[in-house]
Amino acid sequence: MAVLCAVAFVVLVSGCGTEDSGRAASRDEAVSEVSATSVETQSVRLSGKLTVTGSSTVAPLAAEIAKRFETEYPEVRIDVQTGGSSRGIADALSGVADLGMASRAMKTDEEGQGLIGHRLAVDGVSIIVNSENSIDGLTKQQVVQLFTGEITNWSDLGGSDAEVVVVNKAEGRATLEVFLNHFELKNEQIQADVVVGDNQHGIKTVAWNPLAIGYVSIGAAQSEADLGTPIRLVPVDGVEPTAANVASGRFEVTRPLLIVSKGEPVGLAAAFLEYAMSPTVHDLIKAQGFETVAQ
Amino acid sequence: MSTQPRSATLDRLTAMAGWLAAAAIVAAFGWLVFDIVRHGASEVSWTFLTAEPADAGRAGGIGTVLVSTLLILGVCLAIAVPLGLGTAVWLSEFARPCSWRVTAIRWSLDLLASVPSIVFGLFGMVVFCQMLRLGFSIAAGGLTLGCMILPLVVQTTYAGLQSVPNELRAGAAALAISRASTLRHLLLPAALHGVVVGVMLGLGRAAAETAALIFTSGYVTRMPESLLDSGRTASVHIYDLAMNVPRGEARAYATAAVLLLTLLLINVAATVLADRWLQRQTARSFR
Repeated sequence: MAVLCAVAFVVLVSGCGTEDSGRAASRDEAVSEVSATSVETQSVRLSGKLTVTGSSTVAPLAAEIAKRFETEYPEVRIDVQTGGSSRGIADALSGVADLGMASRAMKTDEEGQGLIGHRLAVDGVSIIVNSENSIDGLTKQQVVQLFTGEITNWSDLGGSDAEVVVVNKAEGRATLEVFLNHFELKNEQIQADVVVGDNQHGIKTVAWNPLAIGYVSIGAAQSEADLGTPIRLVPVDGVEPTAANVASGRFEVTRPLLIVSKGEPVGLAAAFLEYAMSPTVHDLIKAQGFETVAQ
Repeated sequence: MSTQPRSATLDRLTAMAGWLAAAAIVAAFGWLVFDIVRHGASEVSWTFLTAEPADAGRAGGIGTVLVSTLLILGVCLAIAVPLGLGTAVWLSEFARPCSWRVTAIRWSLDLLASVPSIVFGLFGMVVFCQMLRLGFSIAAGGLTLGCMILPLVVQTTYAGLQSVPNELRAGAAALAISRASTLRHLLLPAALHGVVVGVMLGLGRAAAETAALIFTSGYVTRMPESLLDSGRTASVHIYDLAMNVPRGEARAYATAAVLLLTLLLINVAATVLADRWLQRQTARSFR
């Protein structure tokens, strides 16, 4: 009996915890009246657990948004798990996760299966070189020539007489797809000297090799360059790879950061999604080096 | 006549080569520690050790991460040590050597020991997270790691037991001491150092694991409330900071420094405890 009472008490208190402070004064009456149904109606809105899985690029941002959401609704638990865009899409489809995360645009067959991609933010992909490299701008044509091995020496572009080291991304990486799409290339055309995984891996490779050229997320590259890492973001066709140009759409090599749902989300998932898409989290998006999208 | 000085030179060369090899290992380890401490020490503070990570790990601390790490290692050892000890004792003391069962078990252990950790991760995800419905949880991560280090614990314990000379067993049998008592008072104390080494190696491997845990215990940095909550270990945290989070490197080094120190403390504590136990055991046996 004592145990039952304790359980009932916990249920009541946790039900009350979801009320905002303005209503705290009337809590005493509320406690005596609370029935199973009212606890339930509140829990639909403000308590429960949500699992979000997917892209390792989106995960740190989503985890920060989730943390802020949890402070506003203390009864809610949002578990953000990582593992890659493909997994986010697969998990959202299979129902293993309530929401998925992807750092690339949805494919038509994925949309055909009822998945909806919600644009949380955008991320630009910039060409980077070592800061010792004297190249201060490239044309789209030159980028294609560099990556396909038509230009193999920096002197062809007015640089020093040394071999170009092409740093490409590994198969399956979202940035690879964005890059190939924009420059109308196929992966087998690229004459890669080094193949890297994550953004940080790409940045470190170029920072260590004065002859390297690669491409990574602008947010990641800019914040590393600001810290003094010896890399430089290279404008292509005169468009500077800056956050402002990404936001305005002038810089075109971008990818969307998506939250993926199977059908229109309901309940807690819908509430979290709405929160994540609201201006309340714009500072978090910028802090992670991404750009906000106009809704 | 001339063999004497030549063999002395050979001896000296051999000793020198051995010394160089040892020095190289110490230097590599020292360099690693120095590098980690140099980059990470300035970030380590009381707040860092106790606070929850903030701003994707660039700010705040690793308190919750350390709690999750210790819980996962605890679950892992709670599974791997009893199972591993039991298996090794059975293999070494009770099973008929070279029987097909022993061969099958030893063969599967050898095979399991060489399976890449990501395979254990995928196995753990299917079996513990999905089939046993543990979800992303500390329990699922710990169980997965337990499976992963089990072969290591069995093999080192087995080797320890095998190194005990058979005369001891024969002597005990001649004195009509039961096999259980022989095991408890003679064989296990003699094999104890092998067991401790096995457990420490397993613990090290478990603490270093990232791939298997991303799929089982997960990425969540909140303070775990139960073993069924998802929790991020220090290694996963280091991996994420180094690979996914721009400007995360300093905190990655700091976390690595703390993890290194924690493992060192556990290692020392285990050795001391084992020695104590051994002393008590010996004292009791001679009473």
